[in-house]
Amino acid sequence: MASVVLSEAEKLYIVHGVQEDLRVDGRGCEDYRCAEVETDVVSNTSGSARAKLGHTDILVGVKAEMGTPKLEKPDEGYLEFFVDCSANATPEFEGRGGEELGTEIANTLYRIFSSESCVDLKSLCINPREHCWVLYVDVLLLECGGNLFDAISIAVKAALFNTRIPKVRVLEDEEGSKEIELSDDPYDCIRLNVDEVPCVVTLSKIGYRHVVDATLQEEACSLASLLISVTSKGALTCMKKVGKGSLDPESIFEMMETGKRVGKSLHTSLQKILDEEESLGTTRQKVGFLG
Amino acid sequence: MPLDHRRLRGPEESQPPEVWAAAAGAGGAAAAEEEEAAAAAAAEEARDPCALRPLFARAGLLSQAEGSAYVELGGGTKVLCAAWGPREAAAEPGGGAAAGGRLVCEFRRAPFAGRGPRAAAGREAEREAAAALREALEPAVRLARYPRARLAVSALLLQDGGSALAAAVSAAALALADAGVEMYDLAVGCALCRPPGAAAAWLLQPSEPEERRAAARLTVALLPSLNQVSGLLGGGQGGPPDSWAQALRLGLDGCHRLYPVLRQSLLRAARRRAAPSTA
Repeated sequence: MASVVLSEAEKLYIVHGVQEDLRVDGRGCEDYRCAEVETDVVSNTSGSARAKLGHTDILVGVKAEMGTPKLEKPDEGYLEFFVDCSANATPEFEGRGGEELGTEIANTLYRIFSSESCVDLKSLCINPREHCWVLYVDVLLLECGGNLFDAISIAVKAALFNTRIPKVRVLEDEEGSKEIELSDDPYDCIRLNVDEVPCVVTLSKIGYRHVVDATLQEEACSLASLLISVTSKGALTCMKKVGKGSLDPESIFEMMETGKRVGKSLHTSLQKILDEEESLGTTRQKVGFLG
Repeated sequence: MPLDHRRLRGPEESQPPEVWAAAAGAGGAAAAEEEEAAAAAAAEEARDPCALRPLFARAGLLSQAEGSAYVELGGGTKVLCAAWGPREAAAEPGGGAAAGGRLVCEFRRAPFAGRGPRAAAGREAEREAAAALREALEPAVRLARYPRARLAVSALLLQDGGSALAAAVSAAALALADAGVEMYDLAVGCALCRPPGAAAAWLLQPSEPEERRAAARLTVALLPSLNQVSGLLGGGQGGPPDSWAQALRLGLDGCHRLYPVLRQSLLRAARRRAAPSTA
């Protein structure tokens, strides 16, 4: 992963600051950086979103394609995740360099979305055992400035909120052969309910305290962090330790509580922004990539 | 054997009959399934959620590897692990800001490890397990003592009877210790799962059927004498943090109880190795 090299003195400065609940950029331990979210940024997708969290910049596109349901779940559609680490983010990602990180993130996304309740997969089914919608979620890392997982989960949730899947009907003729008919109205589409889609909160242990939304510099000071995914109701759906170090059991319990609290407020503010943007409709001025 | 595809007059696609049997003969199949579920539920009620499965561990059994271990859990999980001590590493990718050595982990499932079709779970699952294994072991190994070196561990899952990753963590730590690698402590793994249902309690060291039906799973790795959690990987149906905290406590308790068994097997291996030279 993209990383910075810090001297001992710089590290000490950050660690001491965190102990006093004051971080280098003036935030407290439980504050997020200023986040920007914009949906519907790429016109060739069924739904897209771009999230910017400090210097971390993520673009997510969702494409709905028709496929066959999985054998063990014949009446459900499914989601596929791909993470592309662009060489724009760091030169390390050039060629196959970003592949390992990409699969790690994709695996984590699968794990987060493995809970049945988070997306209503049954609504993605068109025709049991034969046709369903497959949502290809493509994540593009444009810039890495720390706290990748949180930014990605915010962008994925926003993109799923923005996703519009065309409505189709299955017509059956006398011989029993089925035909799929697409609605004439392009605005006639299914929307996904994203209330239960979790967001990731990464808590990095620095010194004796933990911080949310660590920058690259802070990540360099932290040996271990806990990644948890929280739904808007405050339920935990996934838990993972990342990093080289180990954690004290007591601090894990504390981190889970903090994560739940922070995650809930993250969900409310994200939902507010998404609803606001939605209400503006076509009159919204798009910012795009030059904002 | 070469196969002439033109002679095969079958349909272009094929699907396993189970899928259709379940849909068509809903009566019989569903009844059988319900019966199985009821039996499983009854077994669950009878089961003590804090009970550990009997664990058999043996270190130093492979002659070619520098360190090795075999861990078996009652109920059929079998993991074989080999470790190789420090080797000179090739130029480290990514600059190598860290002064310490690198730990390379591999996790493989034997093609016949699981029930059902051969090697159904793909490379991705193996890679994720390998990453989890590395994260659980890294805090235990004194990597700073091996600058510019690489340590390798490979775990082979012979039979999956549930709690496979947890068994692999224990076996890998044992193998590393057996190879004479400097470590702070053994890493002990323990798995948990929560059956579906609102008030279901977490079960320690689930068996394979329990794991398959579970709504949520968690694998914990602990360094017992330091009381530090080195690995944590879990997911599934959401629950309040309290429920996960309780699971974590239960898992840590399980690790503490497994620790003496692993230590003893390590001691026995060391004694066995020492015996021929003194005799």
